[in-house]
Amino acid sequence: MRYLRAAFYFCIAIFACYPAVGTANADEIADRARKLHFSSIVLDTHDDTTQRFFSKDFDIAKRNDDGSIDIPRMREGGMNAIFFSIWIDGRIMGPPAIQKALDQIDAVHENVRRNSKDMMFCRTAEDVRRAHAQGKIAALIGVEGGHMIGNDIRMARIFGDLGVRYMTLSHFYNDEWADSSTDKPVHNGLTDYGKDIVREMNRQGIMVDISHVSDKTFYDALEVSRSPLIASHSSCRALCNHVRDMSDDMIKALAAKSGVIQINYEMSFIDQAYKDASDKLSGGVVAMIDQLKKECGDDETCMGKKMTEMQQKAVAEGKLPHVSWERIIDHIDHAVKLVGADHVGLGSDFDGASMPEGMEDASKLPKITEALMRKGYSDDDIRKILGGNLLRVMEQNEQISRELQAQQ
Amino acid sequence: MSIVIMRAAFFALGGLVVVTTLAGDIVSERTKKLHFSSIVVDTHEDTTQLLLDPKFDLGDRHTSGSIDIPRVREGGLGAIFFSIWIPSKVTGPTAVQKALEQIEAVREQVCKHPKDLVLATTAEQIRQAHKNGKIAALMGVEGGHMINSDLAVLRKYAGLGVRYMTLTHSGNDEWADSSTDKAVHNGLTDFGRNVVREMNRLGVMVDISHVSDKTFYDALEVSRAPLLASHSSCRAICDAPRNMTDQMMKDLAAKGGVIQINYHVGFLSQEFRNAEKADPKINEAIAGEVAKRCGGDANEGCMLIEGDRITREYVTKGVLPRVDYRKIIEHIDHAVKVAGMDHVGLGSDFDGANMPYGMEDATMVPKITEALLKKGYSDGDVKKILGENTLRLMTDVERVSGELNANK
Repeated sequence: MRYLRAAFYFCIAIFACYPAVGTANADEIADRARKLHFSSIVLDTHDDTTQRFFSKDFDIAKRNDDGSIDIPRMREGGMNAIFFSIWIDGRIMGPPAIQKALDQIDAVHENVRRNSKDMMFCRTAEDVRRAHAQGKIAALIGVEGGHMIGNDIRMARIFGDLGVRYMTLSHFYNDEWADSSTDKPVHNGLTDYGKDIVREMNRQGIMVDISHVSDKTFYDALEVSRSPLIASHSSCRALCNHVRDMSDDMIKALAAKSGVIQINYEMSFIDQAYKDASDKLSGGVVAMIDQLKKECGDDETCMGKKMTEMQQKAVAEGKLPHVSWERIIDHIDHAVKLVGADHVGLGSDFDGASMPEGMEDASKLPKITEALMRKGYSDDDIRKILGGNLLRVMEQNEQISRELQAQQ
Repeated sequence: MSIVIMRAAFFALGGLVVVTTLAGDIVSERTKKLHFSSIVVDTHEDTTQLLLDPKFDLGDRHTSGSIDIPRVREGGLGAIFFSIWIPSKVTGPTAVQKALEQIEAVREQVCKHPKDLVLATTAEQIRQAHKNGKIAALMGVEGGHMINSDLAVLRKYAGLGVRYMTLTHSGNDEWADSSTDKAVHNGLTDFGRNVVREMNRLGVMVDISHVSDKTFYDALEVSRAPLLASHSSCRAICDAPRNMTDQMMKDLAAKGGVIQINYHVGFLSQEFRNAEKADPKINEAIAGEVAKRCGGDANEGCMLIEGDRITREYVTKGVLPRVDYRKIIEHIDHAVKVAGMDHVGLGSDFDGANMPYGMEDATMVPKITEALLKKGYSDGDVKKILGENTLRLMTDVERVSGELNANK
């Protein structure tokens, strides 16, 4: 112990280093952080694990040596609420998009049913709290892309009826009624029908998710939505200038209407050097995915594997820089400094993106809590970031939904 | 308007009432008392097609068609199954989307009329609705083609409240033969059997109206739960393939099933059927006239209503025979004698077929109670036919579902 303390003082004297590793004080923080983390609702609003349910090799109940999410690793990382993302390529539209979305919604329902000892399907913030009280993982659903309603507002209601609790207005491509941040604008934001869809989502209590959408679509949605918005998986453009991230002005405007930004862990969204190198290497995320599609077709497991392989190879060859998980903390901290601790949360993009070193899977999540504590965040603020904020926004959406339904 | 003219109008109206009374039997106090204290369940209404027209409101009393809230109230119907139906020729994801639109249309009507309607999925909820003075709205999917050979879609229908599925409509689907198509599967395929098993687990009643005799026997063999014939009559009286033979009814009843008598004149009356068969041009002419009035074959709601109207015109002209509602009683009575009092119910096919004289709409249903009492049926027997048999069947199906889920 004495050596440790000596090391601590040495460290301060020489490097004034952070984080202070291996001190008695640090042990105490680590211990407190663990206690806080494992007593909190840790809610992640974006996990692309749903695609894996269609692979015969994947069993969410078993510990897998690839990907980031399964029950054992969620348990280990204290992640007890997860939004499974319903996602298909944005170029699939119309009735096939609807059916594929239904298949994925069903896959979530069925996997939860088959693992009902560990998971509970949840539709409300209250459900999530109940699952937590029973020691179960709360499973929720978000639809990642408005194209999946097949340009039919009634399908938004159907999705809501089936338990979908957020919908991202677009994915990588524009859909029929909203512009994406990674496509050429054609609607100047939201069309009139798109605005009706946002209103209908308010009525159904489906959170409006503005990750992926163009800046104009974001501002249009912000204007028309009665309920607070979420950015289910976006980071800060001030730290990494990617169109998928939010500018400081956007984050402020989102927060001013009680919304929440859920920080995405994807390396090219959190690290400027990585993004720049990656752009040079692949010509951007859409071009890269198109290339992988050629090799893998519709096999999402193949896509994930290839992407990881490509990325690891490029890092090993020095073509891409190393990115530490601590960049996530930088983004959380930037957003908190900008708009306060009430408007920031976690939207990992696990199983759908390239994770930074040290945040390979759900088991690593306690590190976020510990890092925030070391930064001096209060326990209350940390709980909010881990999940409390998102639950508040869900409750606000539920309340407004009840009001709107009572009005008709 | 002067008092004199008003009074004259009143008497004229009175005269009209007397005429309809003479022709159409006003029911006795005893009948009223029994009928309006019973839970009257009708397992098949094609009203859903009309709901797709945004101008149609189920809360208004309509001069055409058979079903709306005022007339359902007046006729004492306590539970109606809205049929989700698209033609057999529409398949693939488009069939799924269209089915979802109809499910949503039913759910929207329930939302619109919370004082009158309540969505029900169990026998108990129907009883509760009756106690609360509300009409229970249920849903049945009329044709297996609407799941697009995808059990996930079936499960989502169940999740949205669908409580029976007719294995086929007029055409074969991918996994079951219809009674009105050339047999290609020799009944149910292996996948079709899995559909039936999954329906058992989900608590979705297996409806064998429309299916071929072989499909019926296959379903009877594989189903753990009793079967429903949601809208079929007796082949012994009218030799239509859509009706059930005495042997089929006995076999259905032996496993606890219920045949719900269909009021369609072409299924009730051999004479009507013979006239149709004798001159196929009649139906062609009717179809042509319907297409003319409805502007093609896209508006199913219009086609159903106009088809009924034009058929009536042909009866008036003497081209087709006039069928009286008492034919319904004949079929009920025959089925009771063959299958037993516990295995017969009502499946009108209102808004989807040609109604006999005296059973034009839901307001006429008490006449069935009156006629059965006159035949000497006990109050208890009448209650069974009006709805209790169907409720028992639903309870049995729910129990089997519970058992199958517990065994998982």
